[in-house]
Amino acid sequence: MRHRLSSLLWFCAPFAVLLALWAILVPHFDVNPRLFPHLDSVAQAGLEGIKDGTLVRHVGASLLRVTVGTVLALLLAIPLGIAMGVSPTVSSFLTPPFRFFSVLAGIAWIPLASLWFGYGFGAITFVIFNAVFFIVTYNTLLGVSTIPLHVRNAAASLGAGRWAMLTEVLLPGALPNIVTGIRTGLGFAWRGLIAAEMIATNVGLGYMLFVARDFYKTEVIVLGMIVIGVLWLLLDRLLLAPIERATSERWGMVQRV
Amino acid sequence: MTPLLLRAWSRYLRLTTQWPSIGTIVPFIPLIVAWWIVTEMRAFPPAFLPGPAEVVRSFGSLVYTGVLPEYLQDSLVRLAIGSFWGIALGVPLGILVGLSQPAHKALWPVLLFFQAIGDIAWLPILVIWFGYGLTTMTVIIVYTVIFPVVLNTVLGVRSIPVNMHRAAQSLGASRTRMLWEVVLPGALPNIMTGLRNGLGYGWRALIATEIIVGTSGIGFLMFDARRAGSVVEILLGMIILGSLWYIVDSWILAPIERATGQRWGLVTK
Amino acid sequence: MKSLTIRNLSKTYFDVHAGANVTAVRDLSLEVPAGEFVSIVGPSGCGKTTLLNMIAGFIPHTGGEILVGGHPVKGPGPDRGVVFQSFALFPWRTVLDNVAFGPKMRGVGRAEREKIAHEYLALAKLSAAAGRYPNELSGGMQQRVGVVRALANDPDVLLMDEPFASVDAQTRMTLQEELTRIWEQKRPTVIFITHDVPEAVFLGNRVVALSKGRVLEEIAVDLPRPRVWDDLNEDDRFKALSGRVLQLVRSA
Repeated sequence: MRHRLSSLLWFCAPFAVLLALWAILVPHFDVNPRLFPHLDSVAQAGLEGIKDGTLVRHVGASLLRVTVGTVLALLLAIPLGIAMGVSPTVSSFLTPPFRFFSVLAGIAWIPLASLWFGYGFGAITFVIFNAVFFIVTYNTLLGVSTIPLHVRNAAASLGAGRWAMLTEVLLPGALPNIVTGIRTGLGFAWRGLIAAEMIATNVGLGYMLFVARDFYKTEVIVLGMIVIGVLWLLLDRLLLAPIERATSERWGMVQRV
Repeated sequence: MTPLLLRAWSRYLRLTTQWPSIGTIVPFIPLIVAWWIVTEMRAFPPAFLPGPAEVVRSFGSLVYTGVLPEYLQDSLVRLAIGSFWGIALGVPLGILVGLSQPAHKALWPVLLFFQAIGDIAWLPILVIWFGYGLTTMTVIIVYTVIFPVVLNTVLGVRSIPVNMHRAAQSLGASRTRMLWEVVLPGALPNIMTGLRNGLGYGWRALIATEIIVGTSGIGFLMFDARRAGSVVEILLGMIILGSLWYIVDSWILAPIERATGQRWGLVTK
Repeated sequence: MKSLTIRNLSKTYFDVHAGANVTAVRDLSLEVPAGEFVSIVGPSGCGKTTLLNMIAGFIPHTGGEILVGGHPVKGPGPDRGVVFQSFALFPWRTVLDNVAFGPKMRGVGRAEREKIAHEYLALAKLSAAAGRYPNELSGGMQQRVGVVRALANDPDVLLMDEPFASVDAQTRMTLQEELTRIWEQKRPTVIFITHDVPEAVFLGNRVVALSKGRVLEEIAVDLPRPRVWDDLNEDDRFKALSGRVLQLVRSA
């Protein structure tokens, strides 16, 4: 416990230094607030945003889109990936197209999505959906097809039926790849979200940043960047990375180099 | 499966082992046929989903007018400049953070945080600082490429077994020689992985930047088409991006990654 | 070839897990004349690897002194070649380049250092593997490369840290015979760390039994050379010596 506390402190120490530098240097050199904001004006913008609810509304809108898009994508991608991965013939045939779509996933869909769904919730959620969907499907496909055949044979000869094969062998076997896919996909989705919100909506973190630019409100821009960074850091380091470690490294299936 | 189909399939498989590129191209044929059928059946209005023929036609005319080659060149040059600086700054920084414990303590959390902010979120403030143009785009791409490169270089440097350092030292290597002979090659597979990830993020950032602040490039082409409501050119842009990146990733980056890591036995699979 | 002198050596460090100071090596003295092969045996935790790491200069000692040819050891250096249990070959270099690494660090030109490397590879019957990468060799072959890589740098003292512990039993016997053969040809000063008693007796001119960071006893091995397992397996003197060392180690 004490060890975790001290490592948390060590983690935070560099930020304290950065904040101190910011608080001292920006006023000292009298930086134009239209170029870079003072620390206290950012804090003030944050407090105001929370008080009048705008910040909460933007964050809420962004998180809702990410959640809906991701959940929908996972519900479709994992079963589809497993179904395609079971047969080596099917998976070797489908790997190139899915690879194609997973390298394309995310931001490149913004123009088409905004045309198909119009500006707003639909288009942005679609961008997130497809970033996660294609990458997770591709990774699930890879994951299932890399389960050694003798493991599947062993399960079958131990009496595993179709359902048990799915829940006891295919799903856990592909899980490390699935989790890696989710982490990569969400990484693209998160960036896609910010980009899409700058272009195609009137609420959300990306929109908040982009509108602030029109009025040279750098304190709102920097506030937004910090919020984006903190949210992703929490999501990635406290949720995704530990799950990835717990599955792949524990089972010794993926060798970390 | 009928024997005839089976025989055709086995011939196909033999063909793909001989020419692996056939195996990557053929699976797209049914996809394109399906696309063609869907559009011929008018399942969606053509303004929403044009057919393959129209996309090919628009490809032809954009190449003919010289717009497409010019935009493509713009995008690739931006990506190349950004990647170059990303690597040139990222690898030394990664080695420093990987080798020095104080540097690691001071910089690692900051690196994680700035990586988390994400490239696109920098766009508004960069536009204020540098205006619309090449500087803004280059900074965004460098920013995008540098973090995966730095973070993976650090991992790579730290994964070199201590006995490897000791072996080189007791064979008489000086500190600077160690950098060149042990640290850099030892971290190279990770650096390549970082570069591959970084470029994956980098070209997405480039597209987003071109969409939002661009005046040329593939991203601009797509968004310009979006403004004009021309789905054909959007689809064309997506296909070009996808194919281009597929080729770069699977024919250039992945083989390099494999060539270093696998031959040396540093990466399994 | 130079002599190795260890006088009143000790090593104390703070163990973070135990939360206390631990003495790994205490007041240890050892004299190894030039060209002698000394095996050091002892149970795990007796300090033998710590001792070797201090001689190699990988970790500092906290008392006493280590002299190679009369000069005190300060950090790692090419005067002491090391063979690691984990081989520690450079995976990104071919076998030839691995062996030529030491001469290269000394500034020897390409043609000359490759000649040296080829000569040593031939000594270990590795010539055919010169162009291959370590990863493509078996464990036994990798360790042959490890041994000749250290030798090709012409060290004053060769330090070997359980070098054959991670290869299979058959290969190990072959490697041991090869090592004695190479030693007879080149006559380097060798410190050989092992927990395998027959191995220690088979290889050494002298066996030093270590326990709790101290020298328990030194036993001279006056078996004739060349030594091969087919002869020694049935040799009464070998059996008697091994039995005695084994007893020492087990009582430790």
